[in-house]
Amino acid sequence: MTPAALSRSRALGWAAWLAAAILILALPWPAFARTPADRVIRVEGRRFEYAPGTVAVNMGDRVTLELVATDVVHGLHLDGYNLTLTAEPGQTARLTFVADRPGTFRFRCSTTCGPLHPFMIGQLTVGTNDFFWRAAGLIGLAALAAVWGLRR
Amino acid sequence: MTPIHLELTQPPAVRAALKNRWPQWLAQAGLLAGFVFTILIGLFGPAAGNANFAVIAVWIAWWTALKLVFIPLGGRAWCSLCPIPLPGEWLQRGALLGPASRGWGLGRVWPRRLRGAWLQVAGFALIGLFSAVILTEPRVTGWVLLGLIALAVVASLVFERRAFCRYLCPIGGFTGLYARLAPLALRVKDPAVCAAHTEKLCYTGCGAGYGCPWGNFPAAVRDNAYCGLCFECLRSCPRDNLAVSLRPFGQDVVARAGARLDEAWLALLMLGSVLVYTAVFLGPWGWLKTAAYSVGSPAWLGYAAGFGLINLGLLPALFLLAVWAGQKLSGSRRSLRAAFAGQARTLAPLGLAAWVAFTIAFAFVKFPLVWAVFADPLGLGWNLLGYSADTAWPDVSAFSRLAQAAVLALGMYGAARVAVRTADRVRAALPVIGFCLAATLGLLWLLIG
Amino acid sequence: MTRETLARLILGGLLAGALGLSLAAYGLARRDVIEIHGRMAEAGGWTPAALDATVGQPLRLRLVADDVVHGFAVGQMDWPAINLLPGRPVETMLTFDRPGRYTFYCTRWCGLGHWRMRGVIEVAGPGAAAAPAGPPLYVQLGLDLDAPRPASAAPLPEGRPSASRGAALAVEVPELGEPRGESPAAVWQALRAQAANESFDDAELWEAVAWLWRSQTTPAALAEGERLYAANCAACHGEAGAGDGVFAPELAHPAEHTQMGAGHQTQAPTAFTDPAGMLGVSPAVLHGKLIRGGMGTGMPAWGPVFTDAQAWALIDYLWTFQFDYAASP
Repeated sequence: MTPAALSRSRALGWAAWLAAAILILALPWPAFARTPADRVIRVEGRRFEYAPGTVAVNMGDRVTLELVATDVVHGLHLDGYNLTLTAEPGQTARLTFVADRPGTFRFRCSTTCGPLHPFMIGQLTVGTNDFFWRAAGLIGLAALAAVWGLRR
Repeated sequence: MTPIHLELTQPPAVRAALKNRWPQWLAQAGLLAGFVFTILIGLFGPAAGNANFAVIAVWIAWWTALKLVFIPLGGRAWCSLCPIPLPGEWLQRGALLGPASRGWGLGRVWPRRLRGAWLQVAGFALIGLFSAVILTEPRVTGWVLLGLIALAVVASLVFERRAFCRYLCPIGGFTGLYARLAPLALRVKDPAVCAAHTEKLCYTGCGAGYGCPWGNFPAAVRDNAYCGLCFECLRSCPRDNLAVSLRPFGQDVVARAGARLDEAWLALLMLGSVLVYTAVFLGPWGWLKTAAYSVGSPAWLGYAAGFGLINLGLLPALFLLAVWAGQKLSGSRRSLRAAFAGQARTLAPLGLAAWVAFTIAFAFVKFPLVWAVFADPLGLGWNLLGYSADTAWPDVSAFSRLAQAAVLALGMYGAARVAVRTADRVRAALPVIGFCLAATLGLLWLLIG
Repeated sequence: MTRETLARLILGGLLAGALGLSLAAYGLARRDVIEIHGRMAEAGGWTPAALDATVGQPLRLRLVADDVVHGFAVGQMDWPAINLLPGRPVETMLTFDRPGRYTFYCTRWCGLGHWRMRGVIEVAGPGAAAAPAGPPLYVQLGLDLDAPRPASAAPLPEGRPSASRGAALAVEVPELGEPRGESPAAVWQALRAQAANESFDDAELWEAVAWLWRSQTTPAALAEGERLYAANCAACHGEAGAGDGVFAPELAHPAEHTQMGAGHQTQAPTAFTDPAGMLGVSPAVLHGKLIRGGMGTGMPAWGPVFTDAQAWALIDYLWTFQFDYAASP
């Protein structure tokens, strides 16, 4: 191959990698239709964890989140849904929302509850966490592209 | 193909601003005053960590800026401003700014046996054991900062040059390793000029600048790891043979010869640390957090043992296994030791990406705290910057998980490239790439899984 | 002036500025104000926990929570409680009209030792001390709070008797002494003993008792009682009064937990929903236990905290766990 042809084929190759990356990020994710259900999820907050620490619901569920503080005042802020609860021992806090956004979201304590308060974190998965698998695919693709780029 | 190379010190104004001692000195002196203030607030300010200026300014603001801005773009750029070594260095020189007078100190040469990054490995591991307390307790943060500056003074008084920065500072080990990826570099322009110049003022010092505080001979500097960007050589060189330049990322990472075992261990420790920190601080496991926090308790001893085992046992063993498998696959004749040290350079892009992704996970969410402590630095209930706890903050979680995925993919790309280029053949790199992939996916799962 | 001298001056100025400014700010901020730090009881509670004040002279306080959310209030005063978020100091000013010994206490649950987080303010000066309204009812009636109470002979009702239905019945009520000194079971038996009440069955008489109990309180008192119960009692006695609050397991088995620290005797909190326990107790006894505390049970003494009206509102509210006070059945 001439140098020009070589560089053209390289450029084509990179375009293909880029296209693959976009495909991984944008490909529609198969959704399994489930009848939405009403769910009550009771989460106990204690220094410095939630129990349960990981919660899963289906897409479209009407979720009532109950926060029970078992030692001091705790809060719960749910990323992605931007919801906040504050509970005191003896005063359970509740709120209801429709889980209409898929993925895994962190919830964190929003009321200072001691030294490790900033790290009091739990997670809620709505449906499947497809972004994790897309990101994993992207990382694998990056490794392949690197090896391809250095092939002799 | 010559890599892009942009000499930043070409414009006379820039060169003059760096050659003049005042701009850098003023910034350093201001930061030193801020550092003293930070120690005071850490020791005597609010007892609640997330309302204490020292905890937030150091562990959220500075620590984030270091990992997201200073290191990726400027390498050791923070070292050029860092206030910690200054009091000791000034005592050593007997001058704040002017030419060295008699100064104090014994001026000993750093012991040969303690050279390398081993003490930094130990220091970084030690910080890891106590991180949950250091990160959250203002008093401990204050004492650690005070301890660092005291250690730096002692090191300057006993040994010559910046022994603290080069061999002791745990953050320095971290910064140096990842500084190899940065585009910013201070190098000699033409080695031939240096070879012909017999006085080597850049090493010995002269009226215009001190001899390299880091103990380097600038003409021999090939990578960013041990250049503290103090610009002394730029000032002392009578031939103006030094330049600050921008180059593509990752130029200094690949070294087929001269890779060192201590740096390999440091790189493994730092990769392991970020994995452990992510699990401890960002995971949903409260017992792990409590164990890491309760220093001295049986649970903490378990955490410490686990931390040591993972970082100094399991991870190095797995990496060694990967290197060994690569050697077998490709039939390389390189010694396992050399291959281990050389291939460990792979961990630089991988580790930096991991630290950046880890940082993204909390830096943006916790940013309001930075605003709050700058609005009330003394914890007296002031509100200098119009902070309000009720301000609705934009939800950064969607952006930050995208950024984390992109950074980790970029790190994996860099790591795979370095793996191939530090191996004899592509095939020898595959197991190491597999190791990197596993580590990255593990972190990804901890962060957004 | 040489460069070196200038540099020394600048550095000296900067360091003196950092030191001086912070010292001056702290000094000025602490002038004429007492700084009180609040920590969880096991970490020290209030510091200082004893204050002195003079009648009519304002007491300036800066309140700082050091670890978790606390609250500050002075007992038996109707001043609003102050919420204390960690690291957010709040300044306040207290002026006392009358001399005496006042209790200040934490108003937000901050662990099992929350109620131990108390301090005192000794107010000196002219004038009569805030006079107690006489001895509490249980003392006036000569009741022994800790005497064992034998099971009542009255048959227990099924479900919660409705006060509204009781009001509709023309039950003959005998002359009762101090109504709050009698237990529901005793009143039920007194009703049963009336010949005129023969036509009513046992359940109807319980509804009459519910009506009698409701007529001793007001909706406002019940609302106040409900609020006080949620804030002060529910953490142990349960949000629905079933004795199953978040601290109940720990109180029932203190040896398995460490929050209280060693040496504290506790027992499972009383279930106000249990008719066998509740219907045999008089309001005066409940009131006595509330203000005196439980003596080795883990029940705090709320006497120094609640006003008399608040304590009775709370006791009134407790009966809603036994009786249905709804306007229509």
